[in-house]
Amino acid sequence: MTRLIRFTVNGLAHEVEVPTSRTLLDCLRNDLGLTGSKEGCGVGVCGACTVLLDGRMISSCIALAVFADGHDVTTVEGLAEDERLHPVQQAFVDAGGFQCGICTPGQVVSAKALLDENPHPSDDEIREWMAGNLCRCTGYYKILESIRTAADRSRA
Amino acid sequence: MAHRVVGQPIGRIDGIDKVSGAARYSADVTLPGLCWGKALRSPLPHARIARVDTSKAKALAGVLAVLTAQDLPDVLVGRRMFDMPVLARDRVRFIGEKVAVVAAIDPDVAEEALGLIDVEYEDLPAVFDLVQAIEDGAPVVHDNPGAYEGAPAERPHPNVQSVLRFKLGDVEAGFRQADRVFEHTFTTQLAHQGYLEPHAGVVAIDDGGRVQVWASNKMPFRLKELLSLALQLPPERIRVNLTPIGGDFGGKGSIMDLPLAYHLARVTRRPVKMVMRYTEELMAGNPRHPSVVTFRTGVTGDGRIVARQVKALFNSGAYAAFKPAPSVNLGGTSMGAGVYRIPNLLIEGMCVYTNNIPCGHARSPGEPQVVFAGESHMDMIAREIGLDPAEFRRRNLLKDGDHLANGHHLEHVRAAETLEAALKASHWNEPKPGPWIGRGVAMTHRHIGVGFTNARVRLTTKGNVVLLTALPDTGTGAPLVLRQIVAEVLGLSLDEVDVELATTDDFETDSGVGGSRVTHTGGRAAYHAAEKLKEQIDAEAKKLGIPATSLAGVAQAVAREGRTLEASHFYDAKSHAAVTSFTAQVAEVGVDPQTGQVTVRRFTTAHDVGTIINPLGHQGQIEGGLVQGLGYALMEEMRTEDGRISTVSLGDVKLPTIQDIPPLTTVLLQDLVGPGPFNAKAIGEGSISAVAPAIANAVADACGARIRDLPITAEKVYAALKEQRA
Repeated sequence: MTRLIRFTVNGLAHEVEVPTSRTLLDCLRNDLGLTGSKEGCGVGVCGACTVLLDGRMISSCIALAVFADGHDVTTVEGLAEDERLHPVQQAFVDAGGFQCGICTPGQVVSAKALLDENPHPSDDEIREWMAGNLCRCTGYYKILESIRTAADRSRA
Repeated sequence: MAHRVVGQPIGRIDGIDKVSGAARYSADVTLPGLCWGKALRSPLPHARIARVDTSKAKALAGVLAVLTAQDLPDVLVGRRMFDMPVLARDRVRFIGEKVAVVAAIDPDVAEEALGLIDVEYEDLPAVFDLVQAIEDGAPVVHDNPGAYEGAPAERPHPNVQSVLRFKLGDVEAGFRQADRVFEHTFTTQLAHQGYLEPHAGVVAIDDGGRVQVWASNKMPFRLKELLSLALQLPPERIRVNLTPIGGDFGGKGSIMDLPLAYHLARVTRRPVKMVMRYTEELMAGNPRHPSVVTFRTGVTGDGRIVARQVKALFNSGAYAAFKPAPSVNLGGTSMGAGVYRIPNLLIEGMCVYTNNIPCGHARSPGEPQVVFAGESHMDMIAREIGLDPAEFRRRNLLKDGDHLANGHHLEHVRAAETLEAALKASHWNEPKPGPWIGRGVAMTHRHIGVGFTNARVRLTTKGNVVLLTALPDTGTGAPLVLRQIVAEVLGLSLDEVDVELATTDDFETDSGVGGSRVTHTGGRAAYHAAEKLKEQIDAEAKKLGIPATSLAGVAQAVAREGRTLEASHFYDAKSHAAVTSFTAQVAEVGVDPQTGQVTVRRFTTAHDVGTIINPLGHQGQIEGGLVQGLGYALMEEMRTEDGRISTVSLGDVKLPTIQDIPPLTTVLLQDLVGPGPFNAKAIGEGSISAVAPAIANAVADACGARIRDLPITAEKVYAALKEQRA
């Protein structure tokens, strides 16, 4: 069974015919070619597939594409503006907040959502918010530092 | 020596594509006409395949091909010992072994088709426990393992894959000198490397008949060789294209599903993508070996070790195919000697076949298992003989001129300094802040890796330099390190050096990434190539009568003559330098007396390092390895029941999150004697192995509970406390 869905992704309107069982992640990656969002665990615990649905974080690997019908999706590809990295992305580069980079799209999307809601979080608030984004390379110290850096720069 | 670019904590400018989502990993590669492959896996640990019926699957709309072993050449694959079929032919040996494969127009159809394949099995007796597996009369996993290509000759039992021995002095004579002898046995768990990118690959046969491969594999040239054998094609027919790798930690060196993707591509005449689900990674990846390790150590009355015997048994699962070393064993076994001068030593490591998931290499292969056992054993002895655990270590540390278990001679030994630095930074001698709090120390060392690596540098007419490397980017920041080296040698700024990734067409061979090798071998290749280019530039500038610093001027002048300045270097380090890198770590933990829950309150890690090319990346390696060690110590475990993994998702296998990391103090002792460029050493595998014993020793210090079985869960500590009270 398929259904026609209409939604915006990173500000662009899309119409896609999808099987009702297709995940939003597969739709973004395979139907729209937006491969920035990654499939890690496939069960909604690692956070590599994190996207924003109307500004709120979701795991797109366990959300059906049909649920996005009529909504606004932001992926990692939608964070930079005019080729300029989003301040969160820039902070991850400067502070070494990634290594292999497979979890990074999800990390930066989650971090952006955090700073949108709470521009100057404490370390505990960062840890609480980011607990759903696994990273196997960095040991998280530099992810914490990256988010602090992004928050500090927005204060300056 | 002062450097301009080397030593600067430059951010990860090599990874802008990774934060923007533009980086294309293997699973992101797409090609016109691409179809998807999925494998059907055995639900039984040991069985004969009586019949496979693929007719219903073939009839499903959207299915392009269904293959079984009957459709493939009868070859066995492996990294060193070739004992594994591409698809099970007549017998399955573990739950998760591939039995059939489907190509379909999308992954959902492929998945649906798997459910339509009918396989009839006849159960065979199976063996799961590694001690039982080598008893007389145990079910035999392979009928004649000695006949496999690459199989080691020594085989005391049909279920033994390999035996690895290290020997110094005369161990029996040594034990006779001992005043006391201690023996303890430890066990460690099955653990996945935990990379978040499951194995992925795309295979396409192009119009010229060449096999184009994109794969999450860190050794592209070895991959080409192994595929050539598996596919029975000449190596020049295969080209491996490098993609970023979403985490390796030792696990991304095999051919995995690529032969299947090739056969599907051949039959369907379309490019084929195969991406493992994480559940498949957990049931059929190539995780870290579980172990049973026994240490027996003889000490004199004044606390000197005079003899040691170590027996490490590794549960290797159904195949040896994932182990790359010529020994078909785990080199980490040699760490049975620890960081100590042990005149009489006998270490034996044995890899054993069982009907479990086949195991492979994981960050510092074999070391976390053996170091957990050895460094716990050291503390247990220290307490028995009434010495402070640090003092007992101090009396036995390696010194200049000593030999490692493998006979390797060492100079510039900084074991003592590294230990003292960790003790000082962790306030070892100060009173503990309260009850149920303990401190534990553990040490290890890790070699500076060897291998062979290429670099080619070319001067552009803009006066920039482009470095061509065949080292895949596993995330360690190697491309940036290589850029820094080239910039340093040529007197350029970082943005005047670019890195291009080669394919396997560009060089003859290259050992790729692994074994703490890249900064050393890749760095030296880049260093020497850049030096050669500099000589050429200087000579041309002299001839032209322009300053050698005018790279653009030189480049344009030679371009007018139709030439380009280019230099290559193949750096081949065959044997280890006479230096190593020591690590000393101190954990301070709190134990909840009610629940047994362990909290790491502070962690100190001290490392004996060489010149640091990029401090940000260097620290990233320390922190990443350390948190992997923390997960191994406290939470990570793939549980199995009769060969069936019962933790089949990352919801069940707990990896550390950002909530789990302790306050960390890092101490770096620099000694500029490494064999790497600018006297660099290695760091990638230095911080993982001593974490678990440091924590185990701290738990024992906090509450008296000695946990000999990883991971150190609250349940185990609670049970130990209960036993103490009883």
